[in-house]
Amino acid sequence: MVKKLNCREVGLRLQSYLDGELDDARMDQIRAHLDDCVACGLEADAFVKIKKDLTAQAVPADSQALARLREFSQQIAGNAGPGVSS
Amino acid sequence: MSESTTTQPVGQDARFQEYVVPEIDVLYRVAYSITRNKPDAEDLVQDTMMRAYRAIERFDGKYPRAWLLTIMRNAQVNRVRRKRPELMHDPDETMGRVADESAEGADAESQLMDKEFEAPIESALAALPEKFRSVVDLVDLNALSYQEAADVLGIPVGTVMSRLHRARRNIRTHLEAFEDEVQIW
Repeated sequence: MVKKLNCREVGLRLQSYLDGELDDARMDQIRAHLDDCVACGLEADAFVKIKKDLTAQAVPADSQALARLREFSQQIAGNAGPGVSS
Repeated sequence: MSESTTTQPVGQDARFQEYVVPEIDVLYRVAYSITRNKPDAEDLVQDTMMRAYRAIERFDGKYPRAWLLTIMRNAQVNRVRRKRPELMHDPDETMGRVADESAEGADAESQLMDKEFEAPIESALAALPEKFRSVVDLVDLNALSYQEAADVLGIPVGTVMSRLHRARRNIRTHLEAFEDEVQIW
């Protein structure tokens, strides 16, 4: 029988749950509570939306910079490139 | 890939290809979060890769991203120390101040225009104090784990958690205030 968590215990771990930073058993406990508890479910939904909006703020990768960096990495690994000494 | 020269131990290049090259995208994104400046971010990644190459024989092969992020942090601290030695009393705070100064360099008028049209989430993010924003940048915008963010910032995982959670609560409050304002109008 899995121990049920109360709202306070869930509230303390909600952010870590949303970030997938808890172990599987704890994730299951919190998921079960959020399915049953309307208030905690709404709280979780609000933070899920915030996290999603924040993720959308990520700056797109600069493909030219990445290409230059990959080329630089090959210089290093290929011939002990600029400034690299053993 | 070319063969190793006599000055390089066998496998050094292969280990670099295996552990470092796949992380270049993440390294660049994190470097940009730290420096808020594309040329500086590129320089920082180059510096990180050179340091990683020199140290790769001592690397145990576990958690390459965490290892590289720690190298990047040390590289950035050294770069800041060279530029602004008086700021080095608190490296955590220093990284924030350097980012703030980069942001201040932007044209004031365009900043004002940006503020006028930015989404509520952007203004909520911009309103965060730097030490909270940097954690949001790393975890929410760049999908680092708590441990990886802690490695970059040189702070305990618990501090990452508390700053992140407080930052999100602040963002929520900011967004709710914005919604109330819209309803009044």
